[in-house]
Order: sequence, then C-alpha cells, then structure tokens
Amino acid sequence: MNAFWWTSGHLGWGVFALTVFTGIWWLLSDLCWRLLTISISRLLAVMGIAWLVGVACILLGFYVAGW
Amino acid sequence: MIFLITQVTILCFLIIAVVLWGFYFPHPSPLIRRWLPPRKRWPEAQIRHWLKTRKFQRAFLNYFYRDPERTPPLGNSILAPADGAVTSVEVRDGVRYLVIALSFWDMHVQRSPVSGRVVKVESHGSDFMDGEGRQFVFLMKKPCPVQKRVVISTSVGEIAVRLITSLAARRLEVWVSEQEVIARGQRIGRILLGSTVVLELPASVILLVRTGERVRAGETVVAQEMSSA
Repeated sequence: MNAFWWTSGHLGWGVFALTVFTGIWWLLSDLCWRLLTISISRLLAVMGIAWLVGVACILLGFYVAGW
Repeated sequence: MIFLITQVTILCFLIIAVVLWGFYFPHPSPLIRRWLPPRKRWPEAQIRHWLKTRKFQRAFLNYFYRDPERTPPLGNSILAPADGAVTSVEVRDGVRYLVIALSFWDMHVQRSPVSGRVVKVESHGSDFMDGEGRQFVFLMKKPCPVQKRVVISTSVGEIAVRLITSLAARRLEVWVSEQEVIARGQRIGRILLGSTVVLELPASVILLVRTGERVRAGETVVAQEMSSA
C-alpha cells in the first residue's frame, strides 16, 4: 500500500494517476456542461459514475499490475 | 528525482487550471475561453431547452435571480444601472447613450444611477414586434426588442434607464412607479434572462468609463456632473 502513495523517491503512481484523472475529469465536466444539451443533474450523474469507473480501473490496475 | 519533478510539474499545471476554473466560474476559464465561441461561453443549448419546455432547474434560477446588496459610493456621481460590460458610448441629438451588455452570468437586477423623481415609465415593443428606436445599434442587434424606459428627473436634467430584452426572454420587471422619489442605487427593476441596459445621459456630463470596461450596478461611477468635476 505504501507504494501507492510514495515510491522510489517520487509520488506513488497510484495517487498521482488518481489526482490527475480527477482534475482532468472535473475540467472536462465543465466543458461538457457548456457544449452539450443535457440537464445539470444528468450530467453530474453521468460524469460521477464515469469518474467512479475510472477510479476503479486505476485502483485495479495498480493492484493487478503491482505498480 | 526526474520522476518527482515531472509529477510535481504536472500537478502544478493541474492545480493552476482548477484554481482558474474556480476563480472564473461560472464564466469559462481563460484556458478554454479563446476556443469557445461567445454563445458557447454559457450553456446556451441547455437554456434554450429550458425556455422551450418551460422547465427550469431551481438551482439555476436561484443563482440567476440573485440580488446582492450594493453600497453606493458617497457623492452625487452617476452610477452604473446594471452589471456588465460597456459596449458603446454614442451621442445622438444631445443625449449620451451608454450601453451596458449583461453577460448571461451577470446579476440581472438594475439600480437607479441617480436620486430623483421618476417622471415616466414607458413600455415599447410589448407585442414583441419592432419596438421604438430601431435606428440605434443596440436595438438593431435584437430580433424583436422589448423595452422599458424609466425616466428620472434630476438636477442635471432628465436621465433615463432603458431595460431591453428580446423575444426569447421578453420579461421585464420595473419596481418603481411614476412620481415616486427614488434614491441613488435603489433597485428599479430586473430583466429576466435579458441582456442590455442603456443609460441615457445629458451630453454635458463627463463620462468616466470607456468601452470594454466592466461595471457594477449601484457601485461603479460611470459619469459626473460638469460642475462637480
């Protein structure tokens, strides 16, 4: 688990990937909200579910591949 | 070490992007603004859908109808009647027209630029056909202008505030009536989903704002009487 947060003198790839993904996802949600015809609640639900899937994939990849 | 520097650099860029987003929201972040055409700087398709179905989201309406307190500066200077950007300053027949364009995200309550007595509250274009004054640029751009014009009698002459909206929005509220004495900075009305406010001043006043400047209703001084300059 320690490798998730910090490894070999740099941030763990797990926490780094999660942070970058969350930041980009947040900004992408804003862009989608401006460009698409979709209600805010539906957009939040879709982006929220997609974010959870993304986070699950990152965590799964971290543990399966042993980064 | 190289990994750490790369990670920190990427995270710094990301933090800057998110902070800019938060600072400018609901306006688009300057990072994406240049690539968004003006109509995409707000959720236009979403709003048109709401207008069409007449189903508005409550959170959005609460934000749109916000009406914060404002503190007018001391003195007798003439204040901006609306939040927004000054888009033109035109003098015609001895009247100076100061046009303020409200962006979709601006506060939409208008305030009196001066203290005085309301002489007239006129309506134009209430049937959503061509309103009065189509020769003005600020009306030519509107497909079907709908207007309310509040004329206030002051010591420097008559000053008028035009609230202009278009067919799509077409709802104006004026909260003052004829012969009412109003204070400087007092709320005078609201444009619901509207877009333009024009301040009509005597040409003799000294203008203190320029095209492109942003102003705030009831707080920004836009002009001054010649005598007090």
